[in-house]
Amino acid sequence: MGASGDERGDEYTGNERAGNESTNNESTNNKRADNEYIVEMRHITKRFPGIVANDDISVGIKKGEIFAFLGENGAGKSTLMSMLFGMYEPDEGDILVRGKKVVLPSSNAAAALNIGMVHQHFKLVPNYTIGENIILGIEPIKRAWGLLPYVAMREVNERVRSLSKSYGLEVDPTLRIEQVNVSTQQRVEILKMLYREAEILIFDEPTAVLTPQEIEFLLDIMRELRNKGKTIILITHKLEEIKQIADRCAILRRGKLVQVLRVADASTQEMANLMVGREVSLTREKSPAHFRETILAVEGLTVRNEDKFEVVRDVSFSIRGGEIFAIAGVSGNGQIELADAVAGLAKPYQGKISLLGKDITGDNIRHRTEAGIAYIPEDRQKYGVVLDFSLADNLAIKNYYRPPFSENGVLRQDTFRQFAERLITRYDIRSGQGGKTVTRSMSGGNQQKAIIAREISLDSQLLIFVQPTRGLDIGAIENIQNQILAERDKGKAVLLISLELDEVMNLADTIGVIFSGRLLKISPADALTTHEVGEYMMGVKA
Amino acid sequence: MSQKAPDRDTPGRGTPDRDTSKTGGGPGRERAPAGRAGRAGQSGGGGGGGARRQSPAPGGRLLRLLDDDRTSPIALPLFSVFLTLIAASLLLLALGRSPLTAMAAFLRGSGFMIKPSYASGQNIITDLLSFLGILAPMLLAALGVIVSMKAGMFNIGIAGQMLASGFIATVLVGYSDLGSFIAKPLVILIGAAVGAAMGALVGFLKYRFNIHEVVSTIMFNYITSYITGFYINTYYRDIITRSARVCSTASRLTITGIAAGSLRPTIPLGILIALAGVFIVRFLLDRTTVGFELKAVGLNRDAAQYAGIRVGRSIVLGMLISGLLAGLAGVTYYLGYYNSIVPKELASLGYDAIAVSLLGNSSPVASIFASGLITIFQKGSIYMSSTVGVPKEIASVITGILLLFSACGTYIRYQARRRREKLAEEEAKLAAASERGNA
Repeated sequence: MGASGDERGDEYTGNERAGNESTNNESTNNKRADNEYIVEMRHITKRFPGIVANDDISVGIKKGEIFAFLGENGAGKSTLMSMLFGMYEPDEGDILVRGKKVVLPSSNAAAALNIGMVHQHFKLVPNYTIGENIILGIEPIKRAWGLLPYVAMREVNERVRSLSKSYGLEVDPTLRIEQVNVSTQQRVEILKMLYREAEILIFDEPTAVLTPQEIEFLLDIMRELRNKGKTIILITHKLEEIKQIADRCAILRRGKLVQVLRVADASTQEMANLMVGREVSLTREKSPAHFRETILAVEGLTVRNEDKFEVVRDVSFSIRGGEIFAIAGVSGNGQIELADAVAGLAKPYQGKISLLGKDITGDNIRHRTEAGIAYIPEDRQKYGVVLDFSLADNLAIKNYYRPPFSENGVLRQDTFRQFAERLITRYDIRSGQGGKTVTRSMSGGNQQKAIIAREISLDSQLLIFVQPTRGLDIGAIENIQNQILAERDKGKAVLLISLELDEVMNLADTIGVIFSGRLLKISPADALTTHEVGEYMMGVKA
Repeated sequence: MSQKAPDRDTPGRGTPDRDTSKTGGGPGRERAPAGRAGRAGQSGGGGGGGARRQSPAPGGRLLRLLDDDRTSPIALPLFSVFLTLIAASLLLLALGRSPLTAMAAFLRGSGFMIKPSYASGQNIITDLLSFLGILAPMLLAALGVIVSMKAGMFNIGIAGQMLASGFIATVLVGYSDLGSFIAKPLVILIGAAVGAAMGALVGFLKYRFNIHEVVSTIMFNYITSYITGFYINTYYRDIITRSARVCSTASRLTITGIAAGSLRPTIPLGILIALAGVFIVRFLLDRTTVGFELKAVGLNRDAAQYAGIRVGRSIVLGMLISGLLAGLAGVTYYLGYYNSIVPKELASLGYDAIAVSLLGNSSPVASIFASGLITIFQKGSIYMSSTVGVPKEIASVITGILLLFSACGTYIRYQARRRREKLAEEEAKLAAASERGNA
């Protein structure tokens, strides 16, 4: 065993050397002081039925650094970190923490080694307070009169307050989770780890749900954590973030480790190419716009939410054929409600919506679909697909009631199948068993591809895209953005709502900035700079 | 069997893969070769593993049947039934009775085995017909539960809908002197209409006022039970039996009076309705746009609405169909298997139907078998208790146990998967050890 161990060690350093010449020095140093690595994964292999999720991966993570794992969806980043967090056990290979080989059969075992993880989907109890969520599972019990046990919430809240202060994570521990926004919920997850005295913090796609400002804030928190001596492992596919905060970065592709590199030495483009495995373009080629007749006209639209609060206020704009009208804005400023009102999911309180000159304000969703509106919703798993339906059923969910999908109320399954096969090939939707695949088992990126394929196949005059690339990797983003441009070039009207300012700047012909329900500014895209748009978004400029 | 094909291909890869270990013994596994060959033989050639030294470990195969996506819908319920039989046997043993005798008595009582002696005019055929008579409402009620579940709702008011339709059909047709050819179709129509109306009302309350269907149906069960009870006791009571007066033979959904030799069979018509119902419901759910909408609404209301499906309509329609089936169950129960109504009593069958649909995985066809099984226990319990001497309530206990194990299906599957993974890991370790040994 000892001999093979040595051999492995050699291979391991060799691997990193092959990865990047500049780390040559580093790795020879490592060999002398092996315990410099706080976490080391050696020759990790993990297989799932039909797929090798991790194939002989070896990496070392140093104490006090921000180490990023970069890779597309399904590259194996999350699997690898799930093993470090004790959610899976590797089929082969060893995990070393602080130089000692460890077996992690559960996340409790990982927590005992001061490893903490913030999952992409938060694990919080909505109707518990922040303090209660933080201590869940390790409740400090006190006894009143030495008899009646109770949870020492006051002390907990005090400690949470002082912790949050010292790391710059302002939260009020007495608020309930359902009362606070996503960004705060994430801070709660971070505090949960800190409360448990985690030294190694794993962040799984932490920025997927955040707005640009919130992302900035989170990155600051991460820097702060690093400065306080914590080791941070960041799983992401966003190059910008890595460039901004990571010290080193391991690039994974299809379960294999491609390279470990020092972020300062690599360009974003280089990293993107390594991640995808081919040349990718980070900017979109846009042909000059040819505007046609007006397709969508919105006049004086006001939408109220359940509390009768006006979330969209007196909004007017129009979109022509061949035009991408992008709405920029910070999350929660009424853009989703605006899209819902145009598509028919929300009832307008006032105003008029017309499509190709026809008033559709009172029409229901199906009539609007038939009149020519396609809608890619923000929450794809809640609205876009029925997760437990087959892919074929989901692809046909807007057409199932009319020929050739059904006749006299009876479904034509052969049409479903052929239609699914056509879209799967044409839009490169990856699924295990073609049209029969249960949609839940598909990756988020492929679910999104399926939704976009379905909506484009409706051949509508107006396409509404809300956050079309959220949570997707570079390859998928490139693909989807090109499709949006292709629809525009076909003469369709596109309403694009995105929180990613880059996306807006890259694609839009016309930009409208929304702030607390009002469209503050409508202007041709080339007349605005990113900085200006940002100012409107914050409501600074009006 | 086809899912075994990839397993047989994997040895070529030479890795101690999870796939290969699924089918069991790697080369290093210490197992008697004879036993291995024997097991491979049992697999009827499908495994073909004998020659390849890849016979499944005995536990491994069961685990895979329970876990595999294709086989688990059948294997899990069968496994629950198996566990139930074991639990029931232990219970009977504890009562000092032979489980085998008791099980045989259940079968005898339901007309699946010949009894040692019969009353005059009866034999196994009449017993079986009587079994089918009670199977029909059970099956229809289960279909009612299935339709509501597919539409994302839980119709716990089957018993009340049955009672309402049975009562109204009895009063309107059962106490009239209409002839057979008018009365019977009329009974079916009234049963369906009353059940459908009650179901639709529940759906409407849910859609319009957001009243949860479980609450409203439970309340309707009480309301129906006491209102019908009041009317029966006041106007329609039979002084001797204290039940409602019996309905006319013409209106009953049975054919009687045909003498075949010495037999006087009661031929149930309900079972034909029920079997037709199975296939109609299956067609409705799998092949029609209405079924597509019901399932979409049941699985994800937001996505259904987004896709342009009228959610309110689907909710009302789903409950309407569910109630309609319950109404049919009601008339085949109160004007079929029985011929009168006991006041203020809800049919326990309305609740057993939930167990049936659970055991049958909400599949219409599988519910034929599931309702058959539960009906055997319910129906056979009377004979069983008189011959074996165990109170007939044991049938409800067994149904309860069955319900419990069926409800554990997901947990059983989860355990099967974990054990399978563990087994696979051991195999991998052993294989790795033997590889090292070879080297």
